[in-house]
Amino acid sequence: MNTTYYRTRLVARAVWIYTILIAFSLVVLGPFLMGTLTSFKDNPLEYPPTLNLPKLGITNMGAAYRLGVAGGGGGFFGELHPGATVPFEVSVFTPKGQEVTPPTVQVLRLQPGAGIGAVRDPVYAADFSEVKDLKAVDTQDAQRPDREGKLVDGTITRYTLNVVYPSLTAQQGEKVRAKTPRTFSEDLQAVVDGQVVKVHLDTPEAQQQRINVPADTVVSLIKKDGQYYLDGPIILDRTPLNVELERGQQLTDSTLPPTKVERFGRANFFNNITPGVMGFTFNNYLRAFRESVDLETGNSIFLRWVGNSFLVAIVKVITSIAFASLAGYAFARLQFPGKNLLFVLVLFTMMVPMQVTFLSNFLLLRDGLWGLSKLFGLPNFFNPWGLVVSGLVGSAQVFLMKQFFESLPKELDEAAAIDGASAFQSFWHVTLPQTLPAIATLAITTFQGSWNDFFWPSVVVQNPATNLTLPVGLANFRQAYAGQGDYGLILAGAVISAIPIILLFLFFQRYFVENSVGSSVKG
Amino acid sequence: MLNTRVKASPKSPEKMRVRRDTLTAYAFLAPFLLTLLVFFFYGFVRAVYFSFTDYDLFNPPKFVGLKSYINIFQDDKFRIALTNTLLFSFVTTTLQTAGALLLAVVLNQRIRGLMFFRSAYYMPSITSSVVITLVFLWLFQKKGIANYLTTQFTQYTPHIVLFVVVLVVAQIIQVIFERLREAKNYVPEHREATSFDALARIRRVTYVHWSDPLLLWISAAIGGIAVLVASFMGWIQPRDVATFDFDWVYNTDKLFGLLPIPLLFIILMNTFTTIPTLMLFFLAGLQGIPTSLYEAAELDGATPGQKFWYVTVPQLQPVTFYAVTISLIGTLQMFDQVKVIGDAAPLDSIITLSYYIYNYSFRGGSSLAGMASAAAMILAVLTLLVVLVQRQFFKDEVNR
Repeated sequence: MNTTYYRTRLVARAVWIYTILIAFSLVVLGPFLMGTLTSFKDNPLEYPPTLNLPKLGITNMGAAYRLGVAGGGGGFFGELHPGATVPFEVSVFTPKGQEVTPPTVQVLRLQPGAGIGAVRDPVYAADFSEVKDLKAVDTQDAQRPDREGKLVDGTITRYTLNVVYPSLTAQQGEKVRAKTPRTFSEDLQAVVDGQVVKVHLDTPEAQQQRINVPADTVVSLIKKDGQYYLDGPIILDRTPLNVELERGQQLTDSTLPPTKVERFGRANFFNNITPGVMGFTFNNYLRAFRESVDLETGNSIFLRWVGNSFLVAIVKVITSIAFASLAGYAFARLQFPGKNLLFVLVLFTMMVPMQVTFLSNFLLLRDGLWGLSKLFGLPNFFNPWGLVVSGLVGSAQVFLMKQFFESLPKELDEAAAIDGASAFQSFWHVTLPQTLPAIATLAITTFQGSWNDFFWPSVVVQNPATNLTLPVGLANFRQAYAGQGDYGLILAGAVISAIPIILLFLFFQRYFVENSVGSSVKG
Repeated sequence: MLNTRVKASPKSPEKMRVRRDTLTAYAFLAPFLLTLLVFFFYGFVRAVYFSFTDYDLFNPPKFVGLKSYINIFQDDKFRIALTNTLLFSFVTTTLQTAGALLLAVVLNQRIRGLMFFRSAYYMPSITSSVVITLVFLWLFQKKGIANYLTTQFTQYTPHIVLFVVVLVVAQIIQVIFERLREAKNYVPEHREATSFDALARIRRVTYVHWSDPLLLWISAAIGGIAVLVASFMGWIQPRDVATFDFDWVYNTDKLFGLLPIPLLFIILMNTFTTIPTLMLFFLAGLQGIPTSLYEAAELDGATPGQKFWYVTVPQLQPVTFYAVTISLIGTLQMFDQVKVIGDAAPLDSIITLSYYIYNYSFRGGSSLAGMASAAAMILAVLTLLVVLVQRQFFKDEVNR
């Protein structure tokens, strides 16, 4: 036996090990990767599943940008503004022997979304815009497979068209973005810079369209001589387009890929032809934010959930650092009667399941902690603040800090004490500066625990919807959207809620390891 | 001035210092103790009290003795919840511990660049259970990716079987060939050797092992080529199987008449997400075992199986026990997954003790907080039992 023999064996073994490691990480990350990729898809239920992601194509994103600009809302968020002309192109294959007929193109009147968004009073692009100037620009011979997969001769005709949203006023002047008031009134009004102003309808078209401008809608106004004229409502969500072909024809190309193709390629549906990059690629993410709105204020509820989660987590991190390091220091460094008994009690609290004490705590928060909530003008603590006051500091955190303090050398404290420092001075000036890694661990694990917490928040914050934290809200998304198979939006919400923790993890990996086994068990 | 000093001194400065220290300590502990008092001890005492009453959250509680405890044990829902919880806890803990241990043993080697893999393996454990449940609900739909992969797997079984068979046969032939070659070199000196093992023991040489990594790569390559050739020549074809569209979630069936399918779905999900982290944990434990133990075993002529059983397993026992305890406690309190799945699955198939407690506390209109509290006591007792067993075990460990 020689060294070459062993070396080749070692290399072969290492290659096996790394192959298994890589395969296993792919398996572990697979569900998350697939979920993330699918959150970009229009059809999350695609079967058989593919990795075909037109939404991440550079050409498509460029087209989405240009269409967003053409719609008037800009290349990122894309809206349809009055006065806009949006050019669009479709190419249609017609087999030989069949008459080349132009497609029927229509702006659709479509209810936006499912779930919480469906109750909103929408503005329909179809009410204000129409398809114009549909014409064939060129034709070329081509071969395409038909439905059975056989190649067929024929021609591809390229058509251009415009979706036009004419302005509703004859006036020229400065464009002003405003919102109609929250209550519907016969005379059209709008809120400009906090002032309610009268809006003039100077054309018959504008008067006709009055009924299609609901309350609480973003509108474009023309300001002239101190008077406001209705230019038209701004269509925020989408401009849906349908391209209908004759039997046998196929759509071969279009400015944007169609969202849905039905009836063997005859009905080609475009969810939004003025999306902008965000509205195209991150459509499900925008929907998560836009579709769930507070019916009273019109603000995004999802944004509130994110905010609530951050608020609770950050406040809990601060209070935990303060109280857990004080208590941990007392347990680790100070001598006092009852210390051992107290510490046994602390250990005991860590063993008792949350499900034992939650009912009493629920009642405490219901009564606002003996009326304490009234000081803050809250009838009870069934809101994010309730999560904060009930979770200022926990036994596990105190335990963590005690362990850290005990691992530090005692001599410095003793030297400080001989110099006449008080316990607090020695804690503050001597011990605490040495425990920054411990505090980082504490902060990160507390943040993670609070951000992912589900049981206690689902007891405390249920109503109104603006009080929820992100995990509780996501669970509600499941109820609202999973029934219709609208998993794109659910997955987008899940990705958003996972991002802060993943970022934290990537930057501060070593602080997670301390706590990993406990939190790895998904109980 | 002098007087006051004299007055104070009989109490001794030592005692003064102790009193001052005590005050400081309790001042430091005050915020924590206050939180604990209000949100734990008060809650704990009240929960015990509620479990002996007929409390319903609205009317003042009335003492009813052990009636709530009798009621829950006569309640079908509770019995189902208890069975589900114990089943879930036992199966999940077994699967994830065994899986993680196996994987760790396979991978046990000094691995460079472990940091990168570690990030990947920690990912499921840092993500919230709500996110994981949502992703898995999507994966395990009737026409979801999990079922799609199962369909693919059954379609390509001929290919997989052929690959494995060729790989094994090729490996056996190669190893025998190699050993014969080695034997030819050594036998003249050691005619008394009756087997390769005996030979190896006498010569103290490593002979080609059945799982020799280099030969295994060659065998894998041969297997791969065999599959390519066979499918190119049309000798094997994907089987024509129906699309697998099993409903994992809305399903009232039970595996072996015992384990509800939706609960199995949660078990699969939790096992999948926990194995990687536990694996890292075991890997650390494995690398802490002194190599001298293995060397000693080798000198005594232990086989790899014996080394695993008599060195690895006992050395890893504390780690295993800790992992099992943590896992049991976590799974006994499983709640999040049940709540997120909610009405997507039949309640009886997924209800656990935690969810029972939650559900009975807040049933629309008629809260049964008394019964819920009694169930909470049962859950607490179960958890404490696990902890006590662990304590006992570690005491033994220290004494040994």
